[in-house]
Amino acid sequence: MAESRYRILEHPADVGIEASGVSLKEAFENAAAGLLSIITDVESIDAAEERYIRLTATDFDNLLVKWLSEILYLYDGEDFIVGEVEIESLSPTQLEAIVSGEPYDANKHSTHLDVKAVTYHQLKIQQKKTGCLVRVYLDI
Amino acid sequence: MLKKIAEHRYVIPKSFREGMTIEGLIYANDELIRQIEKDETLAQVANVATLPGLVGRSLAMPDAHQGYGFAIGGVAAADMDKGVISAGGVGFDINCGVRLLVSDFTLEEVKPKLDALLNQMFRDIPCGTGKKGVVGLNYEQLDDVLRNGAHWAAKNGYGTSADLEHIEETGRLASADPTAVSNRAKHRGRDQLGTLGSGNHFAEVQYVSEVFDDEAAQTFCLRQGHIVVMIHSGSRGLGHQVCTDYLEIMQSAMRKYNIQIVDRQLACVPIKSPEGQNYLRAMAAAANFAFANRQMMSHWTREAFAKVLGRGNLHVVYDVCHNIAKEEVHTVDGAERRVLVHRKGATRAFPKHRPELPKDYFEVGQPVLIPGSMGTCSYVLVGTEKAMEETFGSSCHGAGRAMSRHAAKKNITAEQLIKELKAKGVTVRGASKSGLTEEKPEAYKDVSQVVEVVHDAGIARKVAKLIPIGVIKG
Repeated sequence: MAESRYRILEHPADVGIEASGVSLKEAFENAAAGLLSIITDVESIDAAEERYIRLTATDFDNLLVKWLSEILYLYDGEDFIVGEVEIESLSPTQLEAIVSGEPYDANKHSTHLDVKAVTYHQLKIQQKKTGCLVRVYLDI
Repeated sequence: MLKKIAEHRYVIPKSFREGMTIEGLIYANDELIRQIEKDETLAQVANVATLPGLVGRSLAMPDAHQGYGFAIGGVAAADMDKGVISAGGVGFDINCGVRLLVSDFTLEEVKPKLDALLNQMFRDIPCGTGKKGVVGLNYEQLDDVLRNGAHWAAKNGYGTSADLEHIEETGRLASADPTAVSNRAKHRGRDQLGTLGSGNHFAEVQYVSEVFDDEAAQTFCLRQGHIVVMIHSGSRGLGHQVCTDYLEIMQSAMRKYNIQIVDRQLACVPIKSPEGQNYLRAMAAAANFAFANRQMMSHWTREAFAKVLGRGNLHVVYDVCHNIAKEEVHTVDGAERRVLVHRKGATRAFPKHRPELPKDYFEVGQPVLIPGSMGTCSYVLVGTEKAMEETFGSSCHGAGRAMSRHAAKKNITAEQLIKELKAKGVTVRGASKSGLTEEKPEAYKDVSQVVEVVHDAGIARKVAKLIPIGVIKG
């Protein structure tokens, strides 16, 4: 999940993420890294605990929103801050992943922005032989 | 394409895009319309005009800017029988809103103790990213909050029942049903009750610098040179999750109702459908969470005043929702109709003699609270008949962002910004340094221009101008 695999996009009100990868799986993983970089300093998170995620969806767009919403929910709803993600399988209707991280600790983890939600605004999923690209905007 | 039909009014004709069933109408002056044209606001106002069962026009206020699906600053009314409800038309931060408290202290009395007051407020009002509230609630208690909103807060020692009279809907939407709210939303919200949040949310100590309308100002207890406190906050993670959940539910259900939309973020269902009714019950619950939230922060503000200045007898001027859908009766094409008014970054602006008004404001109208960007001024306006005729009783909600967060951070550090604001007479306490620079005044449109347009167009009337002296930022 190298940082160069995603970039943060500007929007008058909020922020977006554009992530790339050799496969769509990798682009989805990099989008998660982008989201986490907006929330916190990823380096401060120890991969102490693993969680298994399985999501079903109607299409890739829906799946990308659900995937990032899941990571956001783990942080905001269960105080579990994700540091690393690994997608095990990805199809247009299903995603399985192992994410690792640790319980959120205000003394250990600095936070940058509260992300309200993941949106469909200008959402893009591009699959080409040369590589894949996803774009998503967050409501801050 | 844009047609100026009258002073401060620009129409987007139905020919703007395929599928528009009603026109768009934007309130702006020449400069603001140029800013509005720079982003996707016009397209979004037009997209909203394609939703089924809308009446009147798809509106945008002068503070409008690009949002998600709906533009921020958008108003749209749907026929109760034939129309749709869109979760995106309310937004992620359900019942994000503004409350104004007025004190009997003058500027001169507070100034010497301002630092101590801000420190106390900053200690007592939990704010910033990842900040938890101090009120531990079990899920049964949370359901009570969701059902009763500010009434729950007043009953549990946060303020008094007298406060409730001066809140939109008395701080409780009776249609709220906690069972329509997912466990996920409750998990996100449970620890966040009584927290300010981050981003553009704030608590500001201000003074009344100018009075434009003596009768209304007197009715609202706003006296020149007196100290007021403005609180801008919403329903936190609970509301955000309710919107996320119902966007998903609405997207799946749309096929069943044969609804086609032009932007996925506009997902909607018939108001009368089970999904639509469930959303409205969940939205009302999230709105109540936000009402309780602002009620609790008002209580801590009063305590901070009492600790530092000896008395904390601030009273509530009013509390308005910015992001909400409300069932209301409006006259459309000469006939009275029950409609669901989506206000996405817009404020209700009802005139005098409306039954929804508090008794003591009945002869004047509803206070419309317009916060400016950090360190600039804010305004109190009052609702008008014109707003009833043209905008479903709605007006603007603030300055409106003009610059991205990233662009705002360029060329300025938090230290420089704090110094600049200090030179202007505004002391800042901020939980996040990067958060502060993202909210610098220049990142927003000029609130005074926005208010002038609203005032000149007659969709709200200026009552008083408020100047900040201290800001608490998340």
